[in-house]
Amino acid sequence: MTRTTTPTPGAARHAAAPVASLSRRRFLRTTLIAGAGVAALAGAGFAWLRRSPVDSLPPGEGIRYLTASEYHLFQHATAVLLPVQGTPLTPLSQVPVVQHIDHMIGLLPGHLRKQVGMGLTLFDNAAVVSGWHGRRFVDLETADAVQYFDDWSHGNTIQKALATLVKRFVYVAYWRDPATWGPVEFDGPVSEKWGLAYLGNAPLPDQQAVSQEAVQ
Amino acid sequence: MSVQAIARGLPVVQASDVTSAQLTLKADVVIVGSGAGGAVTAYELARQGLDVLVLEAGPYVPSTAFTEDFADSLETLYEDHGSQSNKDGDLLILQGRCVGGSTVVNGCVAFRTPDFILEEWRRDFGLAEMTPATLNPYFERVEKHLSISTNGPHEIARHSQLMMAGAQKLGWSMKPFQRNVRECALTGHCLSGCKTDRKQSMLVTYLPWAAAHGARIHSDTRVSRVLSDNGRVTGVEGEVIDRTGHKVADVRVEAPRVILAAGAVQTPVILQRSELGNAQVGRHFACHPSMYVGARYPEPVYPWRGALLGTYVDEFMHPKDGGFVLEVGGLGVAEMCLITEPGTGKPYIDYMQHARFNAGIVTLIHDHNVGEIRWNGEYKTIDYRLSDQDFPSMMAALTAAVRLHLAAGAEEVFLPATERLAVRRESEIEAMVGQLRNRPQALRMVSYHPQGSCRMGADPANSAVDPHGRLHGVEGLYVADASLLPTSLIVNPQVTVYALANYVADRLLASA
Repeated sequence: MTRTTTPTPGAARHAAAPVASLSRRRFLRTTLIAGAGVAALAGAGFAWLRRSPVDSLPPGEGIRYLTASEYHLFQHATAVLLPVQGTPLTPLSQVPVVQHIDHMIGLLPGHLRKQVGMGLTLFDNAAVVSGWHGRRFVDLETADAVQYFDDWSHGNTIQKALATLVKRFVYVAYWRDPATWGPVEFDGPVSEKWGLAYLGNAPLPDQQAVSQEAVQ
Repeated sequence: MSVQAIARGLPVVQASDVTSAQLTLKADVVIVGSGAGGAVTAYELARQGLDVLVLEAGPYVPSTAFTEDFADSLETLYEDHGSQSNKDGDLLILQGRCVGGSTVVNGCVAFRTPDFILEEWRRDFGLAEMTPATLNPYFERVEKHLSISTNGPHEIARHSQLMMAGAQKLGWSMKPFQRNVRECALTGHCLSGCKTDRKQSMLVTYLPWAAAHGARIHSDTRVSRVLSDNGRVTGVEGEVIDRTGHKVADVRVEAPRVILAAGAVQTPVILQRSELGNAQVGRHFACHPSMYVGARYPEPVYPWRGALLGTYVDEFMHPKDGGFVLEVGGLGVAEMCLITEPGTGKPYIDYMQHARFNAGIVTLIHDHNVGEIRWNGEYKTIDYRLSDQDFPSMMAALTAAVRLHLAAGAEEVFLPATERLAVRRESEIEAMVGQLRNRPQALRMVSYHPQGSCRMGADPANSAVDPHGRLHGVEGLYVADASLLPTSLIVNPQVTVYALANYVADRLLASA
């Protein structure tokens, strides 16, 4: 079976839906007026000065659209959100999750790409203050990172939106890949596999059977 | 003119066929949109000898090119590549955007308009002709044309069988769906288009029939404005855009009659861009905000196997009984991975690892028409937020769905929220559901049924379109899609749209 594993704009925008309609002004306004958002933004201000060991690392090979910090954020998020080791699920080494996300990000329209970038920066940096982790998301231990996601999932509107955004990108990038389907017995496309016949167009209606008078 | 049936595929002028930078066309009637409303009006008018031109913004994707991959299909067959959402970003609004429109990607569910809805339309909107006596012949006609029939036992998949047992325990009425399908092959891929033409969408019925009667169909053609002169339409203009987003040509069509059937989001946008219609255009948008309530069962269910939609609970359909419907729906892993929040990390992996044990219920409510569609000069906005008036209905539907799952034997039911909220026993339902508040980003919602943005009615003070489908105040301009619906339906709207489109076509013919 030959199938593309290249992510599409559809999946990308689907993942980005939580911030899809937040305009730049509205995005900032929402963040600013939300109580925890103020703390998060303040945290982000401090955190931009807080370096991470991953800052000196380049993004992975072939990455075209993600910034280095976004790449590392998604690398960390993938490990946190998809702990498949020891399960029958397809190992992360066999699914290029962040490469898929890179393609998806590259297919977003410009205005949405900007908003996603702002959101990811906030999500990464706000961990310094939000939850008082004292470090950026990319440097959180797994348990703390899980807690961070969970805290944000029942936080304010913008926190919920961003936690959902990161999760959706990671989940879609993993599960859309046919390599992940076998272990959960998902059948995928079946019509060709089953040899189903095409029925073609329906025949023209028999105009005598339903008279025009009947509907006027 | 001789009528030559088209056995397979469609003759469509696509962007790749356009060689001139300016396309100028003429027709007796130009129809914008090729979905439920556009296809039916095209056929009904073409077979009466009118020169019909159908302009579709989306691509022509023949069924042979369907991939049965939901993520791929979102990209190729859906509006905004599957990302269309409300302003708050917490309601995904799915609409088809391809030749055949939403009928290509819907779940085949076919309901007639409930009588109590027609009664509301007559009582509140002066639509005296919206009676069962007037509409039943239209329903009968489309039901015959589209091979609509009740699901047989083989079309009740495992997930529906479980829910039927649950409903029986609860003493609730549950029925098999009626669907527009011939020889369903039970692939479960309805939302990605039916690859072998069993779904009787417009792609394989009314459009080839219209083409057989001479209707011309252009895809990749985005109408931006309706043209008018002294209160009378003269045609439309727009652009031909190829699949990479590259503009191929400008297009201008001269026509004395225009039918807008671009769907409940795009039709008002086109009218607003054209500065036509009254202040009601774009208002009163409703969408049946739905939740997919997932649950884990002790035995494998394989929710992607069998007919996508088998049965539904109609116990609460009437507003006096709650005003909601529960539909048992299947899904694949690409959808499942997004719709539920089982927890972060290991709980999520455990949930997905057992994907075949999951099943789901879709809730539909009779929402109020509180939304608005607006063109802001650069892009459209869908201003729809679940109203406080509708929130109790949503919670009642959710509570009923959880109860049904538990009665059907589910071990754990996941509430469709952004945080993990799960129920394992009946006694926990009230407390868990009670934690939900009507706030943006609190619920994970999807709309499959946008409607009502160019409401039909006798009084221009509360409607955009008159009882015959004509835009108030403009001669020769008709609307024939789900925009017309004065109130939300509760049930899947495709049959209502087919019937209304046929009704509008007949009124247009009568006035010609």
